[in-house]
Amino acid sequence: MTNNKKRESTLQRIGKYTILRLITLFITVVVGVYLTIIIANMGGYVDELVKGQVQESLTMRLTADESFRNLPKENREALLQRELALEFDRLGLNDPFLVRSMRFLLRAIKLDFGTANHMISASGSNKVRLIIGEQLPPTLLLMGTSNLLLFFIVMLIALYLSRRYGSYSDRFFTSLSPLSSMPSWFYGIFLILVFAALLRILPFGGMLGAPPPERGSWEYVASVLKHMILPVTSLTVSALFASIYSWRTFFLIFSSEDYVDMAKAKGLPSGLIRRRYILRPTLPTIITSFSLMLITMWMGAMVTEKVFQWPGLGTVIVNAVGLYDTAVIVGTTIIYGYLLAITVFLLDFVYALVDPRVKIGAGNRS
Amino acid sequence: MINNKENANKINKNVLSIKNLYLYFKTHAGNVNAVDNVSFDLKKNEAVVVLGESGCGKSSLVKAILRILPRNTSRYDGKIYLGEDETMCMSEEEYRKKIRWKRMSLVSQAAMTSLNPVLKVGSQVIEPLVIGQKMPKDKALDIAKEMFQNVGVPLDFIGRYAFELSGGMRQRVAIAMALITSPDLVILDEPTSALDVLTQCNIMNLLKRIKKEQDASFILVTHDIATSSELATRVVVMYAGEIIESCDADAFFTRPMHPYSQKLMASVPKLHGKDELEFIEGKPPSLIGLKPGCRFAPRCEKRHGNCSQMPPVTGNGDNFVKCWLYVSSKGE
Repeated sequence: MTNNKKRESTLQRIGKYTILRLITLFITVVVGVYLTIIIANMGGYVDELVKGQVQESLTMRLTADESFRNLPKENREALLQRELALEFDRLGLNDPFLVRSMRFLLRAIKLDFGTANHMISASGSNKVRLIIGEQLPPTLLLMGTSNLLLFFIVMLIALYLSRRYGSYSDRFFTSLSPLSSMPSWFYGIFLILVFAALLRILPFGGMLGAPPPERGSWEYVASVLKHMILPVTSLTVSALFASIYSWRTFFLIFSSEDYVDMAKAKGLPSGLIRRRYILRPTLPTIITSFSLMLITMWMGAMVTEKVFQWPGLGTVIVNAVGLYDTAVIVGTTIIYGYLLAITVFLLDFVYALVDPRVKIGAGNRS
Repeated sequence: MINNKENANKINKNVLSIKNLYLYFKTHAGNVNAVDNVSFDLKKNEAVVVLGESGCGKSSLVKAILRILPRNTSRYDGKIYLGEDETMCMSEEEYRKKIRWKRMSLVSQAAMTSLNPVLKVGSQVIEPLVIGQKMPKDKALDIAKEMFQNVGVPLDFIGRYAFELSGGMRQRVAIAMALITSPDLVILDEPTSALDVLTQCNIMNLLKRIKKEQDASFILVTHDIATSSELATRVVVMYAGEIIESCDADAFFTRPMHPYSQKLMASVPKLHGKDELEFIEGKPPSLIGLKPGCRFAPRCEKRHGNCSQMPPVTGNGDNFVKCWLYVSSKGE
């Protein structure tokens, strides 16, 4: 009975924690999106460009009309102005910027991104939603693979080094940590130079070989994997050494805790001590460090995708910036914001699972 | 396991016997002689109290006995007999399987930090049974519940985490954990130093009861003379990494021999004491680069010419003292 009650309250606490985290993350995303809208619109200046474009296309359309050309000059001018005002009204360009930005924000949060100004999706549509939708899976594939790879490689090496503190391998890896100051796209260029240009064993970029293999066949999978090697390597390597250094230090700190000595005195096998008494208590710290690192890594990843011509969101956003396509820039940023928020949320949830101390709600320790 | 115990019963000799134990650490400043040629015996159902100031090698002695060595250990040798078995020649794996928590267990100095924060205390307590003795989990939990009852921890604490427990409760859990495999020897490294007086008293009573009921042997390491006198059957005084006196508890608490022990006893507060409390001038020497001669000499009021040389051990068997005062009286 009491046990049931206790479990219920634990569930409640986790529920409360989850909802609170969701709300904070949502607010973060909204603020981020709004800032993007303001920046991408240059504080309203973009609307002037849009107005100019609308005026130009309207004039062109009207002059192509014979009955319009036959009207007297004053009438033509009046008609043009009237049509223009109607068009501006229809597009909502006459409202103050604050109102318009809020309208953008609302649509953006609901993932209604409208149409692109210039860009066209691979299937030929100019709907921003389609452009992003087609490019999202390759990004998820690339980022998911490199993030998971990074997590496990760093964890294994850091755990290994923490047991050999001060050894040759330990000093070797810690002295390499400044290498992480270089962004992933730098490693990308370097790797392309070596493995694609010089050795010619891996492709320069893209996601599929030419001619593209049939979708779903083994050749398709093999081709994607082959094209993934270099981008995944450059993303992973750029974050690898600094993470190894800091995680190794976390492990070292936690392995000098008294309960580790205690576990040894208890006669537990060393593998179990490592898992249960060093890894488990360190995990919350590591997850925090990992989510902070992901944020940095995702920023560099956009340029890295472009370097490898990877058909993902990063390439889209770099292209959109070049073409000044506001709708696409805002749309991609929102998707990035959502992805990052979801990742951080999942990590937070894992954090609450691995650290029982987090579940305690505000202040009622009993 | 059973065989070993029967053997020990038959012989009814020492549970633990330490001969010439050394433990040195390497630091930037030089070698730390934390445990320096220490020998003593512990009989069945005895409780030896290891007394001494902070920084005189008490906790290092515990580490040396339990073979929990820090990374910078530079010298670790001597002989440690547990019953009949010599443990120093065992490999780490053999030692882990045969000795750790089966023959001796530990209640650590820092009860606050000796429990894993992310594991439930119950599952930590049963680990030696489940992992060391391959016992099924529910059976081990039953034994753990019995132990919790024994040491006075409410049974539903078994599913809690360490941070949900008070200091006294954590210490009790640590004691339950040390007793769960009913080892021959329980080493308590300052088990009450972080607790308030009432909890200290409770824990000492608990230990006394356990000693009576389970006929375990104890090594109690402490600098708290008053509380330790409750449990002690024998006292060992450590100074600067050495044992300078070993004596029956009754004799020691009334008539300590070594000048250091006398000073130590005089510094214990007494109720309604008329005199001012005594103290020992100076600090214990650094364990790095010790000078030859008696290590207490610089602080000793009774020092004389001989003290610049290392004093020999005088006395018989378990009662001995390492001081020139007792050498000269015998010699002349």
